[in-house]
Amino acid sequence: MSSLRFNYHSERAQKARLARQLGSWMQRLLIGATIALIISGVGLIYAGFAIGWLLFGASAIPAMLLEWRRGELGDLKATEDDTLDGVVSGEVLGLLPRQPGPADLAAAAGQVISSQFLSVRLGIGGRFLQEISSSISSVDDVWSEAFKIKRQVGAQLINGAIIASAIIRSVPNYQNLLAHLQLDDEDLIAGIKWYDRLDRRISEHSKPRRTGGIARDWSFGYIPMLTRFGQNISEQISRNGLMTVNLVAHNRALDRLVEVLSGGSRQNAVLVGETGVGKTTIIHSLADRLLDASASVPDSLRFRQVFILDSSALIAAAPGRGELENLVMHVLGEAYSAKNIIICLDNAQLFFEEGVGAVDLTNVLLPILEAGRLRIVLTMDEQRFLRIGRRNPALVNALNRVTIAPADASDTLDIMKDHVVITEYQHKVTYMYQALKEAYRLSERYVHDLAMPGRALKLLDSAAGYAEGKLVTAVSVRRAIEDTMDIKIGVATDADEREKLLNLEALIHQRMINQSRAVQVVSDALRRARAGVRNQGRPIGTFLFLGPTGVGKTELSKALAEVYFGGEDRMIRLDLNEFSSPDDVGRLIADGADDPNSLTAMVMKQPFSVVLLDEIEKAHPNVLATLLQLLDEGILRDVKNREVSFRDAVVIATSNAGADRIRELIERGYQVEQFESQLTDDLIGSGQFRPEFLNRFDEIVVFRPLTKPELVQVVDLILGGINKTLALQKISVELPAEAKEYLVDVGYDPRLGARPIRRVVQKSVENLVAREMLAGNIAPGSVITISLEDVQQILGSQQQADAIAASPSQLS
Amino acid sequence: MGLGYNMIMLVLSFVTWWYGAGWHQRAKLVAARIDRTLDYFSISLLLKTLFTPFRQISAGKVNGSLDTKFRAFIDRLISRLIGAMIRSTVLLVGLVSISLQALLGLVILIGWAAVPLLPFVGMGLYMIGWLPS
Repeated sequence: MSSLRFNYHSERAQKARLARQLGSWMQRLLIGATIALIISGVGLIYAGFAIGWLLFGASAIPAMLLEWRRGELGDLKATEDDTLDGVVSGEVLGLLPRQPGPADLAAAAGQVISSQFLSVRLGIGGRFLQEISSSISSVDDVWSEAFKIKRQVGAQLINGAIIASAIIRSVPNYQNLLAHLQLDDEDLIAGIKWYDRLDRRISEHSKPRRTGGIARDWSFGYIPMLTRFGQNISEQISRNGLMTVNLVAHNRALDRLVEVLSGGSRQNAVLVGETGVGKTTIIHSLADRLLDASASVPDSLRFRQVFILDSSALIAAAPGRGELENLVMHVLGEAYSAKNIIICLDNAQLFFEEGVGAVDLTNVLLPILEAGRLRIVLTMDEQRFLRIGRRNPALVNALNRVTIAPADASDTLDIMKDHVVITEYQHKVTYMYQALKEAYRLSERYVHDLAMPGRALKLLDSAAGYAEGKLVTAVSVRRAIEDTMDIKIGVATDADEREKLLNLEALIHQRMINQSRAVQVVSDALRRARAGVRNQGRPIGTFLFLGPTGVGKTELSKALAEVYFGGEDRMIRLDLNEFSSPDDVGRLIADGADDPNSLTAMVMKQPFSVVLLDEIEKAHPNVLATLLQLLDEGILRDVKNREVSFRDAVVIATSNAGADRIRELIERGYQVEQFESQLTDDLIGSGQFRPEFLNRFDEIVVFRPLTKPELVQVVDLILGGINKTLALQKISVELPAEAKEYLVDVGYDPRLGARPIRRVVQKSVENLVAREMLAGNIAPGSVITISLEDVQQILGSQQQADAIAASPSQLS
Repeated sequence: MGLGYNMIMLVLSFVTWWYGAGWHQRAKLVAARIDRTLDYFSISLLLKTLFTPFRQISAGKVNGSLDTKFRAFIDRLISRLIGAMIRSTVLLVGLVSISLQALLGLVILIGWAAVPLLPFVGMGLYMIGWLPS
């Protein structure tokens, strides 16, 4: 049991206070005093004054104090007994008064570097700690939390960061406080561990390296050609240190690599893994390990130099086929003769395939790999490896495969913590912990071309350009991904957007007549999404719109895309009647490079959109089965097995199934609400849809046919659109009610709904306006009133009108 | 507990550290410096590879007539001799450096023990009024 009694007079507490008093300016003073005493003492002795001995002897006192400060006081170790003053770090201990209260602890923690680290990284500043400390009833609560955290993180000492976290955890309902900072309990612990990790890395960095010394390479051959066509990673590391991050998760792969390269059989390896997984990092780590004389490396590999061959330099130097092969043979021969070289072919496909910047050297490299006497490491993307392996099985057989798996969340965060140190130095910014978490979360969902940790690091790097006041926050990361990928991420904050969300129904109804229930459910789903209260593991909303043609199903999808997502081009539309064979599943999930119009490719490019799956009943069952995961989890795997997220999309499926039944029931006077569930049952019963498919939708919305007054309103909407076009000519048209009703009578078709009306209105009005304009009867600023007679004259006989209504339109 | 008691406790604590952990730390620093010098001059590597050809000049197997093989052998022998000469020179320089450093380290460690006595020695010399002639 730890003692919570604080002994102000303990030896350790006194040492801590002395260390604080011997601060940086005091240390400078002591150095000055030492030098001054030595010089004056020696000078006086030389001049014949014995008092010089006194001064010379006294110079030892400040010098010893300095040594004591450096050797012990500045880094007080924990005592064996688990008492408070025995385990609180010296930097905090030296600041505590006789009877410290919560406010004293907050003040002390606010002054030390470990707590200041939390202040910058998590936003838990000294002032914040001071404010919340007033709500803590007893200091014992803070100490007991501090001991708990110390045990949790496995620390030797209770430092400022632990005390800051303990103060927060001692406040009643502290979770609310943390939530306000977008943090939770685990993040506090992660912040403390991050500080410890950096502290440890700094200590490791200052440890002396064993490099082998000046005679290290004297037994090995000269390598002029290799120096010209390769990049000496080992030399770079010995000069600048390792600029990449050593990853614990990669240690096993690294051990395997060392084992293969030092083994008796073929001394080559191929690192296979997705792009961004860290294959090149492993090569750097290998070079680093081989250079370290204190690492456990077999003698046969110690001090070997790792060279990455530069394919473009080779191709540029020897453009002809025969020349290039000779050059490569020469370079590899040199590496073999030198006897201390490990060749690395990074992105090895460049040496085994023809292409831009690539040349197929299989004939040259295969015998060397098969012989296995020259140490070679290749790195290759999984897909390329399989492709090359299929074409040339001998190559795969000649190589020792080492598979590199993507990093998990914990490893990725650790890598990011190490990596930001480099980025911060390069961009002169500081990253908050929230930015790291956000970069992981968002990159996992939206960045598809790389594996972890590469994808998170890519986003983290790009967020540096969005720092606010040199601080990279979660908002910076969101802005980075919103700008680079053109998607909306954050919860609605902008006043305009809030207004838009609250009035979504009215905005949609500006271009849509009735279908209030459909508009309502879609609007509710969007409000839930942007307020951040929806299930993040599914699409924003999944809806099945049932109803006859021309009642507004597609129109609602378009309206949603325009009103909320910012334009009709934000709608990804797929006619599923084109996906009626089992092979069409492939087209649905094709790679964007092969088919940019596949569903997965389009959503990958534009994840924040309306996905409209038209005529879903016509899709093949295999296609529907593929869509199940999309509806359920908001995820669809493409042909390359990449997860494509639909979690920022509204997925709308439309179907005409049951249209006749809907029409019939409406005509018999039923309301949609009365037969909605019965209709769904009928669709399942008739085998048109499987229940597990229908159950995946958030809502099944039945659209009813429009009534005549509603169709007149549709005419108004169409006229509004025409007037918008004519506004460029500074003219407008208007129709009396009887003309509109005539247009409805002519244009309405029970089978096609309101769709033909658009054609009828457009053709009649546009024809008349065009005729009048050519005749010079219209002046800019005039309003053209089209009477019933005009319409009748333009449309001519009923048969002509029918022909227009039935004709396919480019504008439909 | 008064200020005097605290002062005595601190002085005792200092003395304990100086002749205990402090001395040990100093010894480790001296050892680390010698270790770095050993690494810099690659002493163990130089000894292991004293007679191997320098920079792999004329290394490798040679196939051909007896005359060619003989010339290759001579080449290799010269390469080994050059290597041995260079390595021996560096070895010698390295050993001298390390010896000097070891000596300096020893002086430092003995000096370390004597430093706390300096104020008393100074005071004594001042009191007897001795001056170097």
